[in-house]
Amino acid sequence: MDFELTDEQQLIREAVREFAQTEVAPIAAELDRDHRFPYELVPRMAELNIMGMPYPEKFGGAGADNLSYVIAAEELARACATTSVILLAHASLATFPVYKFGTDAQQERYLHDMASGRRLGAFALTEPGAGTDAGAGTTTATLKGDQYVLNGSKIFITNAPFAEIYIVLAKTDPAQGTRGMSAFIVEKDTPGFSVGEAEHKLGIRGSSTPPLYFADCHIPQDALLGGEGDGFKIAMQTLDGGRIGIAAQAVGIAQAALDASVAYAKERVQFGKPIATLQAIQWMIADMATQLDAARLLTYRAAWCEDNGRPYGTEGAMAKLFASETATRVCDRAIQIHGGYGYTESYPVERNYRDAKITELYEGTSEVQRMVIARSYLR
Amino acid sequence: MRIVVAYKWTCDPEEATVRADGTVDWSRAKPGLSTYDPVAMELARRLAEETGAELIGATVGAKGVGAPIASKAALGRGLDRVVIVEDESLREAGRSELAAVVAEAIRHIGDVDLVITGDSSVDVAAKMVPTVLAGELGWPAVAEVTAVTGQDGTLRVERAIPGGVQVLEISGPAVLAASADAAVPRVPGMKELLAAAKKPVELLDLTALKVPPGSAVMTVTGRARPERKARKGQLINTADPAAAAAELVAALRAAGAL
Amino acid sequence: MSVNAWMVVADQPTVGNLVTVARSLGGPVGAVVAGPRSVAETIAGSGVDKVVWCHAPDDAPPEASAQAVADVVAADPPRVVLAGRNPGERVLLGAAAARLKAAVLTGARSVSLDGDSTTVVNAVFGDISDETVAVSGPVALLLDGGSVPPPVGSSAPIEEVTVSPLGLKVIETITHGFEKVDLNAAHRVIGVGRGVKAQEDLAMVEELAQAVGAEIACSRPVAEGLNWMGKDRYIGSSGAHIAPQLYLAVGISGQLQHMVGVTGAETIVGINTDANAALFTQTDYGLVGDLYQLVPAITAALK
Repeated sequence: MDFELTDEQQLIREAVREFAQTEVAPIAAELDRDHRFPYELVPRMAELNIMGMPYPEKFGGAGADNLSYVIAAEELARACATTSVILLAHASLATFPVYKFGTDAQQERYLHDMASGRRLGAFALTEPGAGTDAGAGTTTATLKGDQYVLNGSKIFITNAPFAEIYIVLAKTDPAQGTRGMSAFIVEKDTPGFSVGEAEHKLGIRGSSTPPLYFADCHIPQDALLGGEGDGFKIAMQTLDGGRIGIAAQAVGIAQAALDASVAYAKERVQFGKPIATLQAIQWMIADMATQLDAARLLTYRAAWCEDNGRPYGTEGAMAKLFASETATRVCDRAIQIHGGYGYTESYPVERNYRDAKITELYEGTSEVQRMVIARSYLR
Repeated sequence: MRIVVAYKWTCDPEEATVRADGTVDWSRAKPGLSTYDPVAMELARRLAEETGAELIGATVGAKGVGAPIASKAALGRGLDRVVIVEDESLREAGRSELAAVVAEAIRHIGDVDLVITGDSSVDVAAKMVPTVLAGELGWPAVAEVTAVTGQDGTLRVERAIPGGVQVLEISGPAVLAASADAAVPRVPGMKELLAAAKKPVELLDLTALKVPPGSAVMTVTGRARPERKARKGQLINTADPAAAAAELVAALRAAGAL
Repeated sequence: MSVNAWMVVADQPTVGNLVTVARSLGGPVGAVVAGPRSVAETIAGSGVDKVVWCHAPDDAPPEASAQAVADVVAADPPRVVLAGRNPGERVLLGAAAARLKAAVLTGARSVSLDGDSTTVVNAVFGDISDETVAVSGPVALLLDGGSVPPPVGSSAPIEEVTVSPLGLKVIETITHGFEKVDLNAAHRVIGVGRGVKAQEDLAMVEELAQAVGAEIACSRPVAEGLNWMGKDRYIGSSGAHIAPQLYLAVGISGQLQHMVGVTGAETIVGINTDANAALFTQTDYGLVGDLYQLVPAITAALK
């Protein structure tokens, strides 16, 4: 079994790290403090072909493998969790459905722009009454002549209103439950489609996650992605891949917290010695490092499965579950190591701590991940 | 126009350790492009974008410099192709020997209008290989270059001097050593890195190059850890900055340093 | 007269150390100068036996005389050819070394002639190890040039050679306003590293420098990346090597690439927040703490 990254994966890690450390890290605290969406980073990441990394070059992507993409997400998250999720929501959640399920015409119209990063995407599944119970959505899409009419609302939609292209899940047949759900490609500025006030969150504060409102929003019939009734399947497949990216985000956040803790422990002198000489601190670092490494390996393994044509649903769920819970645990210990200073804005670990929590919640809560894993064992 | 960027694939001495007998242990060090070589590549790239020049990388050294990852790292930074002389006999080569091999590689490439190198390598930091190379080729050389524009035939070069910058005009082929802060190298894009594997890599045989031998033979007859002035290693408690300052000043006065 | 050692000089006469080393080898010492005639005259009076002045057009930089310098040295091949650590001299030395097919060493701590062999103790890899090298054949050495050599009495003859310059000419010179400094002449030096967070904070360090009577120098990132001071203030493996009475390292991590420039200092003091910084293995007095508190405190203690 070969645990080495390929040459390309190593070089990609170095290049993304260089970008993340020189252009993203210096603004991470400001993005968090000001709840600012770093719109200037999107064209920069597009320029570096990061926005559509795993998609084929003929579609405008970089033609990289999923493991490289996941490494890029990790390096970005290490500098700034917000920037990482902007990429992940765009590439894994919005671009994937168009790539996997789009007709030639839909791909012609949208895929190149999305994979190249020229136009930003968003994915709209979650509703006020439909989170973990994703099938309980009440947003409807009714066919009238040669148009669908959307009515309803979505919440917590990452990248809105900066995104131009939205993958919207809506019920074409409410009586059928999950089998009545369909997916649509909706462009920004379509009449009847509006975006609400930004949500103020505990973490990833620069990530914009407002609600969407559909009031008699007419979209062309050919905005339907896949067939009527395919929506739930499309959403679940999309999330299967998406959660590997979130696992990588969690790994990156935890790595930042661990790095900060190691540096602090060597610098902070109490009782005449650096606290790094104290066994209590040493054992915390050992546990943090071990769990982080395990989370990284699970994440890379899931990406490897996806790249090598193996099933990756359970593997992705395991990675996301473990990495997210590891991130919150590592960030908690990081603040502990920093003591009182860790609780202040002078040190980055309080931001890491606040950022980490979302990874246990979105793209399927830890409870959903456990359901997925259990099902694969107890079926 | 044809531009050659001479680069080095090597380890950073910060990652090496010195044994008690003075020999250097490189086993923990991971090789990479020498720290300031990407600056040279950036300057070369800008000139190539301006002139449509062909950009060729050249490197020489012991086993390892021809590893695929080394070539990809260089090619991923805008080079069109690379030419490599990889020979274990070069492991202990001195500056002039390496320069002579690079000169032969450049003659082999042919029709070269400009050679750009980094300021110095991260491990040896001699700053001499580019100038000896120029001597071997009989070409003008300029070091501490901060910018280069123009066409083959006439180049306009800016170089740092104490107190400022001097602008030179160079006619004919030349060797330019880029100042370490001449430019911030652009971050390689993902497509560039993935395309690197498909770009041509030419491996030259050292013996076939018939590099004329040097006139000097160097033999290492001894190694030692440098004798360092023994330092007191005294730590002054800084809990009270004023007290620490007073203690330091008193100690320095007593030692005759103030 | 067959020259034993050639000094290669560009447009600055700061070659006192080269004169000392060349003379210590015994035998006649020659100097070939590619710069203004005044430099040739200063060196002619410094105790060398022969000076060749390469007379190039006014708009030719020293580098344009590189092949002419190589011609001079090759016409009277020496055991050793030496030059100072400046960009112009490096180019001239490179041309001479290539012509002689000489071995090139750039970290010589000592050099002596032993019969047919030249023995050099050479610091390698950023000064982490010393190699003793025996060389048969010509050796080219890059050394710290030193200061302007004082006159020692009679002047050596100056032979003038007209140079057909390589295709290289100066179009323009632009000054940027960083005050020049001779760190070698300073008895006390304060080095500034990246622990100093903002350029405005240099004012605090300057106050200390005034109180101590010190010059200010810096690590490489401060001179180059941040461009807070002229590059002639950068101390390190490819920068200045100094041996002052007192070196005070402020906010410097102590990486070997910097510290190699001050190993000769009499007393080294370091201030850094990181107790594990490499700096503290190389100091006589170490203060683990915040420079923003300690620097003003030391300034105050001196007043």
